[in-house]
Amino acid sequence: MRTSMTSVTAFVKSLPAGVLVRLSPAERLALIFSPLAIGGGVVTVLAIALLGPPFTDFLGANLPLVRFAVAASAILLMTVPTAFVLIYLELKVIARMNLRVGPNRIGPWGSAMSVVHGLKVLAKEDFAPTGADVTIFTLAPVVTYLASIMTLLVIPFAPGLIGQDLNIGLLYFFAVGGLTVVGLLMAGWSSFNKYSLLGGLRAAAQIISYEIPLTLSVVGVILLAGTMSTNRIVLAQSGSLLDWFVFRQPLAVLVFFIAATAEANRTPFDMTEADSEIVAGFATEYSGMRFGFFFFAEYVNVFIVSALAATLFFGGWTAPFNWPLAYDLNWFNPWSLGFFGWTAIVLAVLVIGTEFFAVIVRLFGGREWSAWDAMGLGFLIDLVLVVGILGLAGFIAFDWVHGIFWFMVKTYAFVFTFVWMRATLPRVRVDQLMGFAWKWLLPASLLNLFATATAVVLLNR
Amino acid sequence: MSFVPGLGIAKGMALTLRRFFAPKATIQYPETAPDVAVRFRGRLQLLYDELGNLKCETCFQCAQACPVECIDMGGFDTRGRFHVHWGAPEMYAERREESALRRTGRPVPDPAYTHFDPIDTAAVDGILEEYDFDPGQLPAILESIQRVHGYLPVAALKRVGQVTGAPYAPTYGMATYYRHLRFEKPGHTVAVCQCTSCLVAGSGRIAGTLARELGTEMGRGSAAGGVALEQLPSHVPGASSPLVTLDGKSQPVTAAGAAAWARALAGKGVA
Repeated sequence: MRTSMTSVTAFVKSLPAGVLVRLSPAERLALIFSPLAIGGGVVTVLAIALLGPPFTDFLGANLPLVRFAVAASAILLMTVPTAFVLIYLELKVIARMNLRVGPNRIGPWGSAMSVVHGLKVLAKEDFAPTGADVTIFTLAPVVTYLASIMTLLVIPFAPGLIGQDLNIGLLYFFAVGGLTVVGLLMAGWSSFNKYSLLGGLRAAAQIISYEIPLTLSVVGVILLAGTMSTNRIVLAQSGSLLDWFVFRQPLAVLVFFIAATAEANRTPFDMTEADSEIVAGFATEYSGMRFGFFFFAEYVNVFIVSALAATLFFGGWTAPFNWPLAYDLNWFNPWSLGFFGWTAIVLAVLVIGTEFFAVIVRLFGGREWSAWDAMGLGFLIDLVLVVGILGLAGFIAFDWVHGIFWFMVKTYAFVFTFVWMRATLPRVRVDQLMGFAWKWLLPASLLNLFATATAVVLLNR
Repeated sequence: MSFVPGLGIAKGMALTLRRFFAPKATIQYPETAPDVAVRFRGRLQLLYDELGNLKCETCFQCAQACPVECIDMGGFDTRGRFHVHWGAPEMYAERREESALRRTGRPVPDPAYTHFDPIDTAAVDGILEEYDFDPGQLPAILESIQRVHGYLPVAALKRVGQVTGAPYAPTYGMATYYRHLRFEKPGHTVAVCQCTSCLVAGSGRIAGTLARELGTEMGRGSAAGGVALEQLPSHVPGASSPLVTLDGKSQPVTAAGAAAWARALAGKGVA
């Protein structure tokens, strides 16, 4: 790092005087970092070419371990951009429903807003109050966050794309998901603050209360599918739209959705935080990235319950109708091109595409584009186009790509509904919250369970 | 209206969904600036409090900001002493009230308004000549005018504005800022010496008593009833302590008799 920085400095010094001053900030960055990027790219390409085959052999010999490591890190890495996307979605959707525009300054249409927000949280002071139980105080966000994202291991994103296809997948999901409460209680207890403790207890009471109807509403699905494996529940719904469990378990869907809203601490059941009315509950004493982990866990939770709703009741990754187009792309063997062939193609597509769109931007861009800006925009357009074409090809050729597509469509439909509800519904009172869970949701889920069991027994006799 | 469970929720959700697609009310400010004239400063409006009193404090900030110096106002200061009503003379002359009415759209409650008296501006012109017609020298100019006239006549301030080009509002602001500058001709000037020997002899108590009895305060430019209370710059050589002067002449005032003396002066001095 030190050597690279000195080389950057030397490079900057070797430029003719006044060059940097005449350039825009973006141009300066590009000028300084482009040699680094090119050098890094060359090194990477060489490393892959020389070390790639023995390394892949090693990985192939330890496939189960590799599979686990990849699944765990992929899920860990996936949650951060997911949370960013969800936060951005929430800002933007609620703004639109309030007749506002929402974030629109940072990044295209303000899309980098939540990323900058995350960076800001990361840069804040990591603070523990005097008298706090620092160990537990530090562990609490970790427990909450891990309990949230570990449930993603059993979510089937696409055929074959599942962290671990456990035969007790749903049990695992609710068992691990229930650990969230432990994190909240730890946070409330260790903060050395009456309000935090009360907030933690309030959150625990709410989540435990709603855990029961949530779990019971799913039992009907388990009875119908005859398995607790999430993957096989999805397979049991494959076929067409009418095979989805939502049409056989409408009451369960309703109960599940309401309970999941409370479980994810979303309006109208966001009593744990209730940001406009009371102090932040168990997170009162938290700052910086520790608070950020609670925040992230909340949004990841929204994604997870949406994903689970899509998985259990809306067919998961199965398409709502049978895809009539079945192109066969097997005539093309990607290995025939070889490593250098692929490198050449990728470079050619990127360079030629970038230049092509840069020329178009400069000619028809409407205003004076500097060469660097035009190149940047051309690169972006090219990238979007290439990714779009590759995605379309993947959608046609690979079932996991369109599996992911349908899964995400369904999941984000639920995410949108959660945000939509937040923009619409007022918060319920805490006694209404508890009364509703015990007097209405629990009987309803029990009724659903008995009705399903009876139907299964009668029909299978 | 029949009760359907969840109907209200459905209605609300439908409303927010319609709003989601509705045109947005936000105006992106730096990109879309309102189309206003360069010298536009907003609509003038005089506000009244719940008791019907004009809230304007005649701070003259609006007059100072006005690019064409067309704003003027009248009113009393916080102690109910001055009546101020003057504006840019060359703009509206005798039609100030009318202009104020036209701009505010409300009657200006100003029953006590009286026009200022004209003065012979020769002395003022001489002072301005001495200071090279430099508005930067305004404090000294105003002090010199007060030294000549005994106070700051409105006509003199207007003359200063006309000749030097200094806007009226800052000139007025400067004249009101310094406590030794006054706008009304004092009938009498009572000066109390505050040197050490006089203070030992009780001039501090005398000053307090006089201020209370005359209804003014030490160093105020003018006073109700036309008696100004001042601090003597220095002790007059050979005079006895405590030293109190009335229009420059020494008076036999003691700490005990100050109240009676002040009452006698007020009875005599107020026309």
